[in-house]
Amino acid sequence: MRSPSTRCIAGTAALALCATTGIARAVTLEVTAWKGNDAEPAALPELIERFEAAHPDIAIDFSYISRTDTDIVLPPRLQAGNAPDVMMTDMPLVKVWGEAGLLAPLETGDWYERLDPAVKQAVTIDDQVHVMPLEIIGMGNFVNMGLLRAAGIDAPPTTIDELKTACTALADNGVKPMIFAGGFSAPLFAIANGLEHDPAAAPALGTEEVAFEDNQAFIDTLALFPQLVEAGCFDPEVQAGVDPWSTGLAEFKAGNFAMMPQGAWNIRDFSSVDGLDFVFAPIPSARDTGVALDLFGVGWSISSQSEHPEAAKAFVDFFTDETHLQALLEAESAYSPFVDGASGMAALAAPYDEARAAGGTILFPFGVLHWPKPLEAEIFDSMTGYLLDLDQDPSEVLSRWDEIVEDQY
Amino acid sequence: MGNYRIFLFTVPALLVLGTFFLYPIGLSLQLSFTDFTGVGIPEYVGWKNYERIFTRSRYLDALGVTLAFTLVVVTVQTATGLFFAALLHRLPAVRDLCRAALFMPAMMSFVIVGYVWQFIYSPFEGGLNSLLAALGLASWQHSWIGDPDTALFALAFAHIWMFTGYTTAIFLAGYAAIPQEYDEAARLEGTSGWQRFRHIEVPLLAPSFTINIVLSTIGTLKTFELPFIMTRGGPDGATRTLSLHIIDSLFGDYRFGFASALSMVMLILVVVVALVQNRVLRAREERAR
Repeated sequence: MRSPSTRCIAGTAALALCATTGIARAVTLEVTAWKGNDAEPAALPELIERFEAAHPDIAIDFSYISRTDTDIVLPPRLQAGNAPDVMMTDMPLVKVWGEAGLLAPLETGDWYERLDPAVKQAVTIDDQVHVMPLEIIGMGNFVNMGLLRAAGIDAPPTTIDELKTACTALADNGVKPMIFAGGFSAPLFAIANGLEHDPAAAPALGTEEVAFEDNQAFIDTLALFPQLVEAGCFDPEVQAGVDPWSTGLAEFKAGNFAMMPQGAWNIRDFSSVDGLDFVFAPIPSARDTGVALDLFGVGWSISSQSEHPEAAKAFVDFFTDETHLQALLEAESAYSPFVDGASGMAALAAPYDEARAAGGTILFPFGVLHWPKPLEAEIFDSMTGYLLDLDQDPSEVLSRWDEIVEDQY
Repeated sequence: MGNYRIFLFTVPALLVLGTFFLYPIGLSLQLSFTDFTGVGIPEYVGWKNYERIFTRSRYLDALGVTLAFTLVVVTVQTATGLFFAALLHRLPAVRDLCRAALFMPAMMSFVIVGYVWQFIYSPFEGGLNSLLAALGLASWQHSWIGDPDTALFALAFAHIWMFTGYTTAIFLAGYAAIPQEYDEAARLEGTSGWQRFRHIEVPLLAPSFTINIVLSTIGTLKTFELPFIMTRGGPDGATRTLSLHIIDSLFGDYRFGFASALSMVMLILVVVVALVQNRVLRAREERAR
């Protein structure tokens, strides 16, 4: 006959065995992203909770790694074969990591067929897809309607003529019309207007097939700058020194400027400012609707070294469901990358929505790798240089862009 | 045989030196001849990276910006540090308090300092422009970091503000090493304060000059923090230092091979400048003895 203590030990051992079996069945998936912290939650904490509830056998070990730190922290882990299972990526990362064989090709199922055609084309490299896009973020013109109405204008400008009229009216009313920082706002205006005439020209411009310095649309766009100055839109020398990521944002939030080309990711922050009556509109252009400059931002990629590819696939698939993705889009003020997808944009972005609906959308060429990444910094530099000396020949300014493109090949 | 055993004591130091200094330099040199992107297998590209550096004006311009920034910072920071040290040496009652106050900016994060000075220099109601307006000097208001003619000096001023306390502390240590008798003897001879400073203190502070100048030169040649935070190298490259080019090439452009080539150029620059400075300043120390 067994003693009570023997039975107790046997029972404990059986319980421990059960518990161990339970733990062995659970998969812990390591996920990294540069969203999901307190400053930019993107609804990720909530969505991860939802995912874990729907998949009780999978636990998510989530780490926030800023975009800058992603470049520093993840490459050594990828090289050492110790990468996270799922990583937030953008196209520049997908290109470098995908070409090195460090990202697993994704199954192009239903979600792939539903992708916006332009996004689908961008994410397909050599017939393989290494990223599941999460969002499209707009880049347009923030307009302080309170200041515009005070100057007698009731709608945000969408054409160049309307922009000039608005600038003159604002300036006459003692309001500084526009933040046009060389480090971001002016380049957005130049890219949107340069490509507006022929958006399909972007890939050729980024591969030496066509030179920027010979592109009449870009030459004409730069020639617009002195006209905007003449209309009182901005003081070019002052704008050359404005930091678009600190001073520019602070000045617009303070209501010191009426307009500012920037990204929709600021909507959430601007909306928290009491009394700031603003809308998010397209970038004024020759087209009646203006240009909605869409940025394909981020997506999920699976490491080719993941020990849990099925669980990783389940995690990525979870975000292809619009009911889940919607929470992220609303938190981000972004659009779905799927043709049948909804929008997370606030009502104040109606002018931008209208431009998109009217076909005024251009994909930001850097987000889809049409233009090499180093060109971005050169555009920022050269636009600043041009603002400092608007007597420069636009072709000469654009030749600096061609030199950078040439350096990549 | 016994004489050789003494060299065994250098082995740990040589191992540390080899592992943490020589090996990374060797690896960087090797990478500088490749197209390495940070991951994957690099491919040999010969001298292409170096050819790009020396045939594109933007990198030579960055070299010029780096040297100009270093010259301004080292000269003004050394002079300012010496001024404060000489002053505090004569004011023992407030010396410790002032030394701590002067040293405080050096303990602050570059990010904080960068953002604070960015708002001080802001063209819209920035601290400096507001001060000028309050003083009735509104016509002097300026876009300090937006004008290529003033941006580098504006950054240099912030850098000097940050590290003057450091220089002052080294000079004060030098003052502490000057025997009191020299000062007393000079006073008995009826010398003025300026004469004692010029002919006794400055020569005897030669070792402090060497340490200050060499350290600040090396630190400033490698600087990227304030240009990165305050101007991102702008306007139009006016504050783009070599280090900033390296950072941009590494993170964002993923051109690790090219960044390694730039690093090798910078290493050679720093070593040459430091060696020349060291030789000149050591000779000056010898003459002062």
